[in-house]
Amino acid sequence: MGSFIIKRVLVSIPLLLIISFLTFVLINLSPLDPAEVVLHAQGVPKITDELIAQTKAELGMDRPFLIRYINWFMACLQLDFGKSYVTGEPVWSLLGPAFLNTLKLTLVSVIFIIALSILLGVICALKEGKMMDKSVRGISFFLTSMPSYWLAALMIWYFSVKLDLLPTSGMDSYKSYILPVIVIVLSYAGIYFRIVRSSMVSNLNEDYVLYGRACGLPEKKITMHILRNSLQVAISVFCMAIPIILGSTVVVENVFAWPGLGSLSVKSILSRDFPMIQAYVLVLAVAFVLFNTISDIINAAMNPKLRKDL
Amino acid sequence: MTRRMVAFLAALMALMVLLSGCSDGNDAKTGSIAQGKELVYATAKDINDMNPHLYPGSMSAQGMVYESLVENTEDGIKPLLAESWEISNDGKVYTFHLRQGVKFHDGEPFDAEAVKKNIEAVQKNAKKHSWIKLSTKIVSCNVIDPYTVQLVLSETYYPTLVELSMTRPYVFISPKNFINGETKDGVNGYNGTGPYRLAEHKVDQYAIFEANENYWGGAPKVKKITAKVLPAGETTFLALKKGEVNFVFTDDRGTDSLDVEAMNKLAESGDYQIVRSKAMNTNMIAANSSKLDNPIHETAVRLAIWHAIDRETISKQIFHETEPAAYTLFSPNVNYANVELKKRGYDLEKAKKILDEAGWILKDGQTVRTKSGNKLDMKLYYDANSSSQKTQAEFIQNSLKKIGIQLQLVGEESTSIAKRRSTGDYDLLFNQTWGLAYDPQSTVSAFASESSYYHTTSGITKADELYKKIDQVMVSTDEDTRKSLYADILTIVHEEAVFIPITNGNVTVIAPKNLQGVSFKQTQYELPFEQMHFK
Repeated sequence: MGSFIIKRVLVSIPLLLIISFLTFVLINLSPLDPAEVVLHAQGVPKITDELIAQTKAELGMDRPFLIRYINWFMACLQLDFGKSYVTGEPVWSLLGPAFLNTLKLTLVSVIFIIALSILLGVICALKEGKMMDKSVRGISFFLTSMPSYWLAALMIWYFSVKLDLLPTSGMDSYKSYILPVIVIVLSYAGIYFRIVRSSMVSNLNEDYVLYGRACGLPEKKITMHILRNSLQVAISVFCMAIPIILGSTVVVENVFAWPGLGSLSVKSILSRDFPMIQAYVLVLAVAFVLFNTISDIINAAMNPKLRKDL
Repeated sequence: MTRRMVAFLAALMALMVLLSGCSDGNDAKTGSIAQGKELVYATAKDINDMNPHLYPGSMSAQGMVYESLVENTEDGIKPLLAESWEISNDGKVYTFHLRQGVKFHDGEPFDAEAVKKNIEAVQKNAKKHSWIKLSTKIVSCNVIDPYTVQLVLSETYYPTLVELSMTRPYVFISPKNFINGETKDGVNGYNGTGPYRLAEHKVDQYAIFEANENYWGGAPKVKKITAKVLPAGETTFLALKKGEVNFVFTDDRGTDSLDVEAMNKLAESGDYQIVRSKAMNTNMIAANSSKLDNPIHETAVRLAIWHAIDRETISKQIFHETEPAAYTLFSPNVNYANVELKKRGYDLEKAKKILDEAGWILKDGQTVRTKSGNKLDMKLYYDANSSSQKTQAEFIQNSLKKIGIQLQLVGEESTSIAKRRSTGDYDLLFNQTWGLAYDPQSTVSAFASESSYYHTTSGITKADELYKKIDQVMVSTDEDTRKSLYADILTIVHEEAVFIPITNGNVTVIAPKNLQGVSFKQTQYELPFEQMHFK
């Protein structure tokens, strides 16, 4: 098992290298002169050729591409993503707090999503095809397909304006979490609940269930077995839910004025704050690779057959 | 089970509602507004870096915290931190007598030494301020005595006082906030002399400004102003309805977070009032007269486009009458711009006639006019992030089709549009004049500037004459000469139709019904909060 973990981690390193390189290349492919982008981002009203030359030298942009990439990458390893084009502050000082804010929101949401989808998935699988199952599936389908923007506006209107219970937006106290978490949970729980349900249903028709019943095992014990087997599939999916939600909070953060990664990425993209965009992409990529690795390791721990793949 | 499930869900909902009902004892900072005491305004963007000598910060916030030597008002230049001034006969030396007893927010005295340090700090970064011509003309800034300071220029420059009155860069920050005697690489605090001081700032969340009780102009009546970051217009509207936010104005960059319908709803509720300023700037299309291989080079084509744009409908349908139609590059309330110019309205027949006479013929069975084999086909660039520009572009494209002009629309980022403008790689593009406090001089000097409208103006027959007059007007010392020069300049660009005006932009404020003294400055970027008070 130990050697599997080491192998699995080693595999993800070249992947990260490739991602970091691609990020850097893609941004540098932009047809705009980075020095000009910097000046625009700083809001300088009039940009002259000498000013561009001066900025280039200041930012070391007159150096060859590969050298710039290596410098940037070495600095990234020390969490130094350079300075924001707009404010000149270190990228990490802005990205760090935003990342934490989004992470808090994501973790709270994921906990609720897991609890809710396991609960509903199990209930619906056991009641497959009955009214209960149909109605939960119908509702979840409806909620998942509803644009979260609209759902959020509706929630704010009802809970905060009409009932005056919660703040409309911002991040002031634990109350601020309630609405955004509800919106994220309602948008995603439906997807994960279906996964739990379908793997439960497929397990229900397995031979070992029939065998267990034939041996006269108590139904509760059988259900626990089924649950354990079906959750194996779900665990890797739940693991990936964290980076997926981390990267897709843009809409919710925008509506709820949540000072997180989503808001920051939009802001950086609009002002072409390249160092910020690079860092954002990199952080998300690391999150994806990291959770993917974790889910593989957990699965391997639960199912020895999977360890031979590497 | 179904019933149990329903019960469970109901319980879950009830739990959430209960949870949310629990008070956590400390009222959220921006959760409840002390009615009748403070203002909380919604802004789409964070106030950003408040360094007054650079450009990323929010101008409305900087306008509360920092002050300039003089102020630009409707009635001309008025004293601010300088009580009086003299200009030498050759127009090169300005002597300012400073207001005494003024202190920065950190208690540092505001005196001649502080003025000198600030002006020198700005000049050290002069390349970034090249848009403001004054930055290229300051030779030195000398302390005469503790309250007298002298500004020496390399040549006469009539807009000196106007440019000194602008929100940035010639405003004053406590010398204690300088880093290594400079401000160009950042400052370590934001202490100005203005009516409000920045008390707290949480990036991307809010910024709190508190009244400066020792303000030389008397402590402001509204004691606390909070800028709350709300990127989504829907949330802003709901927050206004709930009362978490009670003030909105058209902030920087002219992005309105609320649409007209939402504004009217708020006003109808009886809690809010809508206050609109007079015309502040003009939204227009700049036409590239220097593009010799394109029909846009011809005056006739530009005139036809001018006549084919139905401004009244644009104002009604797209701007819901918040922006009136514009028929001249500058609205008559701009200094020196009250000039007799021929009004050209919406007239498709006239547009067709102009094109026919210029040799652009619409052949039978064709939709686009041609002249010696060339099609009457042009590209209009608009800012992809502006929904109103896109709508206008589509509307204009449709109007031009009726007179046989094919217009291709290209939406791009504002940075690419700015780049096109400076390199001349465009036929037509959306743009706007600088605004009341800056006009006419800033927009007019941009006519001749490579990085601005040089390509717009350089293709006209009278280009050389135009540039000469622009140079003359900037160094003129005599009011009558200046008036006639501006009249000539504006007449030339009007006759050549290189700037095709569409509407006049303004500032719109939504404020609590009981707030009085809501007025405007000469710029769309700031508001005089210190004059507001609750009934």
